[in-house]
Amino acid sequence: MKTNLDPPNVFKIILAVLFLFLISSLFELQIIKGNYYHQIAERNFVRLNRIPATRGEIYDRNYKPVVINIPSLNLYLTPAKIKNVKSLMQFLQFNYGIDPAEVDSLVYNNRFRSYQDILIAENTDYDTMMRVSEDLNYYPSLNFKVETTRQYLIPNHFTGYVGRINADEYSRVKEEGYSINSSIGKTGLEKYYEVLLHGKDGNEIIQVDATGKSLNLFKNNLVQQPENGLSLVLTMDSDLQKYASSVFPGGVNGAIAVIDVKTGGILAYSSKPDFDQNMMMTKINKDDWNRISNDPNKPMLDRVIHGVYPPGSVFKALTASIGLERGVITQYSLDRPCTGGLMIGNRFFRCWSRAGHGSLSVEDALRVSCDVFFYDLSLKLNLDDFQKFVFANHLAQRTGIDLPNERQGLFPNTAWYKKHYGKYTGIIGPKVNLSIGQGEIQVSPLQICAYYAALANNGKWIRPHLLDRAIGNKTILYRDLNQKLVTQLPVSANTLRIIHEGLYKVVNAPGGTGGAARVEGADVYGKTGSAENHVGSPTHAWFVGYYVTDTPQIAVCVFMENAGHGGSSAAPIAGQIMRYYHDHIENNKTKMVAEK
Amino acid sequence: MFTKSKNFDWTLFVLLLILLMMGVFAIYSASTTKIGDTYNVKNFWWKQAIFVIFVLLTLYFLFRIPFAVIDLLIVPAYIFSLLTLVVVLFLPTINGSHRWFQFGFLHFQPSEMAKLCTILMVAKIISKPYMGELSIMLRGFLVTLLPVALIIIEPDFGTTVVFCISLLAMFAAADIPFIYILLIVSPILSIITSFYLLYFIIFILLLIYLLIKYRLSWVGISIAVVINVFISLITPFIWQGLKTYQQNRILTFLDPTLDPLGAGYQIIQAKIAIGSGSILGKGFLLGTQKNMNFLPEHHTDFIFSVIGEEFGFVGSSILLLVFFMFLWRLSLAVGKLNVRERKIATAGIMAYLSFQIFINIGMNIGVVPTTGIPLPFISYGGSNLLINSLAVGMVMKYLLERGFMK
Repeated sequence: MKTNLDPPNVFKIILAVLFLFLISSLFELQIIKGNYYHQIAERNFVRLNRIPATRGEIYDRNYKPVVINIPSLNLYLTPAKIKNVKSLMQFLQFNYGIDPAEVDSLVYNNRFRSYQDILIAENTDYDTMMRVSEDLNYYPSLNFKVETTRQYLIPNHFTGYVGRINADEYSRVKEEGYSINSSIGKTGLEKYYEVLLHGKDGNEIIQVDATGKSLNLFKNNLVQQPENGLSLVLTMDSDLQKYASSVFPGGVNGAIAVIDVKTGGILAYSSKPDFDQNMMMTKINKDDWNRISNDPNKPMLDRVIHGVYPPGSVFKALTASIGLERGVITQYSLDRPCTGGLMIGNRFFRCWSRAGHGSLSVEDALRVSCDVFFYDLSLKLNLDDFQKFVFANHLAQRTGIDLPNERQGLFPNTAWYKKHYGKYTGIIGPKVNLSIGQGEIQVSPLQICAYYAALANNGKWIRPHLLDRAIGNKTILYRDLNQKLVTQLPVSANTLRIIHEGLYKVVNAPGGTGGAARVEGADVYGKTGSAENHVGSPTHAWFVGYYVTDTPQIAVCVFMENAGHGGSSAAPIAGQIMRYYHDHIENNKTKMVAEK
Repeated sequence: MFTKSKNFDWTLFVLLLILLMMGVFAIYSASTTKIGDTYNVKNFWWKQAIFVIFVLLTLYFLFRIPFAVIDLLIVPAYIFSLLTLVVVLFLPTINGSHRWFQFGFLHFQPSEMAKLCTILMVAKIISKPYMGELSIMLRGFLVTLLPVALIIIEPDFGTTVVFCISLLAMFAAADIPFIYILLIVSPILSIITSFYLLYFIIFILLLIYLLIKYRLSWVGISIAVVINVFISLITPFIWQGLKTYQQNRILTFLDPTLDPLGAGYQIIQAKIAIGSGSILGKGFLLGTQKNMNFLPEHHTDFIFSVIGEEFGFVGSSILLLVFFMFLWRLSLAVGKLNVRERKIATAGIMAYLSFQIFINIGMNIGVVPTTGIPLPFISYGGSNLLINSLAVGMVMKYLLERGFMK
């Protein structure tokens, strides 16, 4: 026993065990799994190099550019070529404000792929480029590449913007050929029509060494060319769009929508205040981001479809039409005279005019926007029927515009009140408020605009949209992408005629609230609204109407947050927009027709 | 060549020469990049060849100088190596740790010298006659603790393990009963087994059985068991108390494939290289993984993967066989030597070489964790080569001196 466990013998036993272990591991690795590793080794040095597709551009209806690709100077770092890390970090911090720790971690994380370029900064401006280029000799690890980026020619809320793909988006779309360096639409049309705009990246198969350096072994074969994205042609008219943006008074938040009545195409789409999307195209600094995202006026909020508000009196056209449709009123029925208010139950509902309007027909009630007339009308309506009617007119419903994340708004029914206010609350009070577009009702400016466009179009509601066609290696029309564009509003021709008459009087008859929207040489129909929101703050000003020459042409909706009365604030702006349309666009059209 | 004495261990010397030649040969391939018909040879191989010649000259002088001189030099050399370990801590870091002195193109790693000096020093201190077992272990620990403490703050975990393994081998050679050595390593086994209750119970029962069999006192048994149970109980709590990144660092150390682009990258690439070598290999200079530079540091720590890729299972088995015969010869020397100090030193040298060879090859084929330990005699590196050869030279010197001293 003693002799066997002598130290030298123990050492020999341990040696034998260790080497048996090594030999058997080697046997497994090289002989049993040899083929498997052989295949991996062959795949190891073949790489797919991506050739990015060019993203489609965006044009207005006259093919004027709205969003274009421009060359962008992007700064790349090749870690393998770094000479002096410290001076490089200082250089980048001085010229680009990049944190040295960030450079350090980038270099560290790519230490085994040191010939692969790392994107350091996008969209270098001219001054920085000149300054940096002078010193580029000293930093062989840095190089500029000319790539493309987006330029947004009109600050707006509908085109949205693109950005580098994030982890969530990447996991969703990586099957579709995106890479982690791809750009992807983040908001607006860029997001909604991502599939059309993006195109398909090409591939090039190259042989590389471990650091990603191309070895040029089989170049020029095995290239799959990229398929460029389609360009979008919008229904939008950039002249009208710019003009509409410019007439909106500064310092007021709000929205403007202009719809081509016959096609449903959107001619102008503006939300105020706006912001320059181009700032999203460079590495946005924290201060700018905080300034924009913490601004109480919310410049990033698209008030046309993402903001929902009580419509106030512009809603009365709908209340009048359900009254006529359900036979509660007729064209000539003069209802209860307005004495400046109406006592319902134990609550007094005021008309906006303390003096009262006396007895009115429905047309005149629209003209002077008498509240009492509609209070009285609403007493004879069933709330659930009312909600169904509202929804059938596409109010408090998503219009289905070709933009992401549209908000629906709200029009309550009996069940809603029971849920929110308990069993025993009467619904008469809320119903009375809803009839004049106040209370819980919330709609977006676009819904209102589309509704009035449908009224102008003889009750034919057309889904509002921004895209006219996508062009490129093939052409896709908007209507190819969408079914059920047109629905008929649930109103009779007679009702429509009466409503038209009322809306005409609002603008053109003496005592009408919308006189400021009148246009020389054409007929304007419309309705003003002054919607109460928070107690103590001024009302939201609304004007929505349509412009008719031989036939109805455009519907215009102007919405101004807390700007006072619709007649005095919003109607003049709508009038200016229609006048601009009359002078510049319609006249040009007729001229062109005449020249032909 | 060096001496006519019949005590000269020609077998050991020839095996050493074969290893050195294989090293230069492998470094030539590792520093050559062949893509298409273009060759690009870096100058590592002839530098290594110069090192080899220098090493052989040094061995010649080592065999010539009187043994008394060497004996006198052990204590000063030990103190000097401690000093260099202190100084290196104040130098700027290279690759994230304070391990190297740099003289022009030469890198010198003081911990290499410390390994040999510490082994010789321990052997000298614990070989005095009539020392108790406890006193031997205490002195051995103290002498080893100084360099280990300095090396662990460099930080260099792998090298400290080398020290501990050779210390245990020296204890064994100093006739410390194996049961004590088992007691020394038992806390480490407790930590490892504490994550699986069944293994831990088996381990503790085995420990108690062995302790009783070797007639340790009941007090001793109780203390050993209590300490081990305590360690295994608190280990999970310490583990839970670690931050996630600390846990991850330990996990990726144990299993580098958890981090395929970071710590695991080299392991995965090394396994691909060796595995793709199959039976006969891809041929000299033709390793694709090597030529495409997928393997970093393939002339130093990962040189075995180049051999495995280009010469396959046959080539790497031949290398393993040479290593095995070489180490076997060293363990025979432990038996042959009668002077206690030299026997102990030879055991330490044998253990430290075997451990480095095992860890490096194991790391290349992905069966042990990655540590920055080069392959003795094969990897590129002057100081490493010199110290390892001097260590073997010391053993040969001991064998040569047999008969002159009792």
